[in-house]
Amino acid sequence: MLVNAYSKKVFNLAYQFSGSRQEAEDMTQEIFLKLYGSLGKYDFGRNFTAWLLTLAKNHLIDEYRRTRWERTQRDELDERTMTQAAFDGPEKSLAREEDRKTVWKALGGLSTEIRATVILRDIQGLTYEEIADNLRLPLGTIKSRVNRGRLQLAAILRPGKGEEA
Amino acid sequence: MIGTHVEDMLSAYLEDELDGPRKAAVEVHLAGCQECVALLEAMRDTRDALASLPELEPSPGLLRKLYAIPERKKKFRPVLDFLLRPSLQPVFAGATGLMVFLSFLAFSPAGHSLQKNFIRQVHQGYGRAEKLYAKASAIPDEIGARKESLLGSLRSVDILRTGGEVE
Repeated sequence: MLVNAYSKKVFNLAYQFSGSRQEAEDMTQEIFLKLYGSLGKYDFGRNFTAWLLTLAKNHLIDEYRRTRWERTQRDELDERTMTQAAFDGPEKSLAREEDRKTVWKALGGLSTEIRATVILRDIQGLTYEEIADNLRLPLGTIKSRVNRGRLQLAAILRPGKGEEA
Repeated sequence: MIGTHVEDMLSAYLEDELDGPRKAAVEVHLAGCQECVALLEAMRDTRDALASLPELEPSPGLLRKLYAIPERKKKFRPVLDFLLRPSLQPVFAGATGLMVFLSFLAFSPAGHSLQKNFIRQVHQGYGRAEKLYAKASAIPDEIGARKESLLGSLRSVDILRTGGEVE
C-alpha cells in the first residue's frame, strides 16, 4: 500500500524542507491527496519512487513560493532525533550534535531550489544523476546548486568552529 | 583569500570527482591557503551533519489521516463523476458565459453604458408595445363599424332589388 511504502519518505522530505513537524504533517497529507488524484497520469515506464519524489518536491517548492517564502524559522531539532543521533559515539556526539543543530537551522536560510537539491543529495542520499532525472534539470545545474548550498551552510558552520579552536 | 575558482570545485574535490589536473590544481591551492582548507573542512562537516540527520517516524495520527484519503475520495467520487459528465459540459459552458456577461454588466464601465442602453431600448420597446396594444384594441371597433357599413350597403342593395321585382 502506498501509505506504508512512502509515508515516511514523504514526511521526512517535507520535515527536512519545512523544518516544522506540524507543517510537514500538513504537507504530507496534501502530497498524498495530490498523489491519489494523479495516479491516473502515472507513466508505467517511469520509476514510481522518482515520480513521487518529483511530485512531492514540486508541491513543496510551489507551496513555499506561494505562501511561506518569507519563513526561515525552523523548529528545534526533535529531541527523539537527537537521542538517536547520540549513537554515533560518545567522543564525537557533542560536536556532531552542535553541527547538526547549526546546519539544521541554516537549511531554512537557503533558497527553495538550493535547499531541495541539498536535501536530496546530502540527506536523502540520491546520486547527482538521480536528482537531475527527478528535477529534470541538467547535471551541471544540480552539482552547482549542491556546491552553492554546501558553501552557504559551511560559511555558517565555520565561525562556530573557529571559536571552538 | 578564498579562490573563487577553487571554491567552485570544492564539492567535487570532496567527493573525489575531479580529474587529475584539476585535482592537482586544487591541492596546490590548498597547500598555500589555510582559509580554503578551513572551508573544505567546514564543507565536510556540513555534509556529515546533513547525512547524520536521522529520519523521523510519521505520527499515528498522520498515518490514520493518510489511510483515510482513498476512502474520502471514494465518498466524493460519485458526486464528482456526476458533475464531470461530458453531457453537463455545455450547461457549465453556458452558465460560465452568462456569469461572464452578468459580471461585465455589473462591474465594467462599458457594461454600465450597455446596461443603460439596454434599459432605454426596453422602455422604447415597451412604449411601442403599448401603442400597438392600443391600436390592436381599436381594431374590433373599426371592424364593427366596417361591418355595420357593409351590412347597411347590403341592405340598400336588397331594397333596390326587391323594389325592382315589385315594379
